[in-house]
Amino acid sequence: MIFKKKNNTAAINEFNQEIAGNSLTKDAWRRLRKNKMAVISLVVVIIYILLAVLAPILPIYPYDEIILDHQHLPPSFTKNAGELLMEKRLADLYTQAWRQGNLELTEEEDDMLWEWIDSNEVNKVWDYMYEKGNAMVAEGSYTLSSYEQRRIDSLEEDIRTELQITLKDVWYRADSGSERVKLTSLDTDEILAAYAQLVNISAEDQKTQYMKEIEQQVLREIKERTPDLSDEEYEILLNQEFNDMSESRLNTLIRSNVLVKLNNAIRSVGLRNLKDAAEDGTMEFPLEEEISISETISATIKASKVHERQYYLGTDYQGRDMLSRIIYGGQVSIAIGFVGTITSVLIGIILGALAGYLGGKVDYIIMRIVDIMYGLPYMLLVIIAMAIFGRNILNLFFALAIISWLTVSRMVRGQIMSLKNQEFIEAARSMGAPTRRIIFKHLVPNSLSVIIVFSTLRIPSFIMTESFLSFLGLGVQAPFASWGSLVGDGVTGMTLYPWKLFFPALVMTIFLFAMNFLGDGLRDAFDPQSKNQL
Amino acid sequence: MSEKEIKKPLLQVRDLKQHFPIEAGFIMKKQVGAVRAVDGISFDVNEGETLGIVGESGCGKSTTIRSISQLYTPTSGSVVYNGLDLIKAKREELLDARKNMQMIFQDPYASLDPRMTVRTIIAEPLEIYKKRRMLEPQMSKKDIEDRVEELMERVGLNRAFKNRYPHEFSGGQRQRIGIARALALNPKIILADEPVSALDVSIQSQILNLLHDLQEELGLTYLFIAHDLAVIEYISTRVAVMYLGKIMELSRSSDLYKNPLHPYTKALLSAAPIPDPVIERKRQRIILTGDVPSPNVERVGCYFYDRCPYKMEKCKTNIPPMKKVDEHHEVACWLYE
Repeated sequence: MIFKKKNNTAAINEFNQEIAGNSLTKDAWRRLRKNKMAVISLVVVIIYILLAVLAPILPIYPYDEIILDHQHLPPSFTKNAGELLMEKRLADLYTQAWRQGNLELTEEEDDMLWEWIDSNEVNKVWDYMYEKGNAMVAEGSYTLSSYEQRRIDSLEEDIRTELQITLKDVWYRADSGSERVKLTSLDTDEILAAYAQLVNISAEDQKTQYMKEIEQQVLREIKERTPDLSDEEYEILLNQEFNDMSESRLNTLIRSNVLVKLNNAIRSVGLRNLKDAAEDGTMEFPLEEEISISETISATIKASKVHERQYYLGTDYQGRDMLSRIIYGGQVSIAIGFVGTITSVLIGIILGALAGYLGGKVDYIIMRIVDIMYGLPYMLLVIIAMAIFGRNILNLFFALAIISWLTVSRMVRGQIMSLKNQEFIEAARSMGAPTRRIIFKHLVPNSLSVIIVFSTLRIPSFIMTESFLSFLGLGVQAPFASWGSLVGDGVTGMTLYPWKLFFPALVMTIFLFAMNFLGDGLRDAFDPQSKNQL
Repeated sequence: MSEKEIKKPLLQVRDLKQHFPIEAGFIMKKQVGAVRAVDGISFDVNEGETLGIVGESGCGKSTTIRSISQLYTPTSGSVVYNGLDLIKAKREELLDARKNMQMIFQDPYASLDPRMTVRTIIAEPLEIYKKRRMLEPQMSKKDIEDRVEELMERVGLNRAFKNRYPHEFSGGQRQRIGIARALALNPKIILADEPVSALDVSIQSQILNLLHDLQEELGLTYLFIAHDLAVIEYISTRVAVMYLGKIMELSRSSDLYKNPLHPYTKALLSAAPIPDPVIERKRQRIILTGDVPSPNVERVGCYFYDRCPYKMEKCKTNIPPMKKVDEHHEVACWLYE
């Protein structure tokens, strides 16, 4: 049975000892445990799944946070982003100085460097120049020019002071005596007043400002809805829209508009205050505390120094953390592997079982459909489906599922055809068991071992397909990531930034290996004839 | 087992035919012939008796039983149980009648689902009829549990084995599980399809004794198939001899073994060895010539004509009807006209 109920009445033998049944599944599990590779693989798979599931609560940076300063930082366990940036800046300056002839090297070194440049090994040049330049500055044979010194100082300044802040809550206090309340709990008029007070503009100006902006916003929406009209027509549509607009809708528009502006204002004020503090060194970062913005408004702000970040697996071309992208990408890839397999196995079991058990015309029709779908090129169908239904993860699931049940259904059909003439099926029929019961209580559980093995071997192939589609740009779209799309992104510039390709590929390979070993292990475990070999 | 009172027939089989079509053609299937596995047989099974069916391999014994229990849809004829023709019966009525008609299967290894525990296997008929709300009276989970244990004790299995799987049992024990399953619904008649032929001899006698005891305790009726003449002699009240889908001779067991009438029965009995070397050496064996003819062709004469040592001109074109020789003895042969 697929979901076996626990028997609460324990069997007792004549010596009053409890007797436990020894099921085929238990037997298989025992044999699986003897297979070292399979157990290791099982652990690896479980770790992967845990990481993917727990990704939101892991202490990693958001996978879609773009920090353009941090483009293409190499992986490092010891240096944080600021130090890496400084290295990069210095290497850059030394190299430039050498190219302009300010920094003189021996002839052999020149030849070596030019050779590297010719063979596109720029990383080596930078590394060498960084080491060499530092050494020369230290021994005094090269002095930095004032321009170079300025650039280094400005970077240092940035590293020290650049902050990343997130606004957690905004508080409002009408006067010093009263209780503070969340700004979002106030009504629109009060928010308007608070904003006017903060940026010091008259209510009249404020109104014209936000009305103009809302008008723009609505116009944009109309243009999206009905493109290719003349300006006059848009004018008419816009007026119509405003006439039709209800009081409450206008109210929410105003509210959201002002809230966004208010938050931006608070953020900039808060950033200014904290930056001063960072420059003075009066505050320790990272911090999370309430900062008063004006007499009436205060905000809980979380702030950290941007350049103190650590990227263990480097960053990608938009300065996003590769580690968190790989973990979140794993989420998508593993989900596609499992969901795709489960849907395809479910469809396959039901159709295969019906075809196999009922036989005759039903079998003929189902199997001809399978044959026809087999005849169509698999990838082409997926690509067409993705092109028609749009590129998102759900459609990817859908496209993979509709095509991948074919093999399962054929396999299940074969299994069930060989089982259905067994006497125990005849026995069930003679007891008056309905077809549904025969299929789902007798036939499917008996072919389950084959199905389980097939499914585990199927998961990697789903992940591969998804990766292939993502590699082609048909799969997951940025900012979402999957292993396939990460590899696809990593291929561009793979000589300069090899970590962008290496880590996702490595992670994916390990998972696929583990899945395949696990599948092999399961196949051996479920095969009674391999009993003696283990 | 005694014939003190006259028993009314529990199951009447009349002119039962089971033909399996032979199809040819690529997409448009066309029937080009039929395997006449069972070709018009009639008999009654009386309450409380054991009717044994005996015959060589391929003579249609198992098909007969499967047709009676409606595992196959018979081609024609009627199977009347308790006044209800099962072939024409509605699904509900059929299920209700089937409650009283359970099967025991030949192979104790194949007839139990390897994925189910003994408890689940024995309780399965109860569960099925409980789900269909045809169980009288309705049983709770606890009742079913108790019933399973009771059945296990009754067939001689330790109830502690309830949660074990079939592969942990020996052949004899498995057959006991099969018998317990057949008894679960309190059936009136049990169709036993060679229940002992897959077991070794010592186990055979245990199972036969078990069946015998159960019959006495529960008042069961058996329709019992075997190809072993000794087994049939031991268990049966009456015996039907089948050949090529036809009944050749039907008689009380004692009469048949003492006084076989049909040439085929004679040959069959003479093929069985006698466990006494002196008699065995002296006796004259009847050796049949030729093979069993194909059941695919429709026959116009006696089914045994091709191999009969006493064949006559009449036999070639006329199918002999069942003829009552005496009150309990019927034979289908022109010799006794």
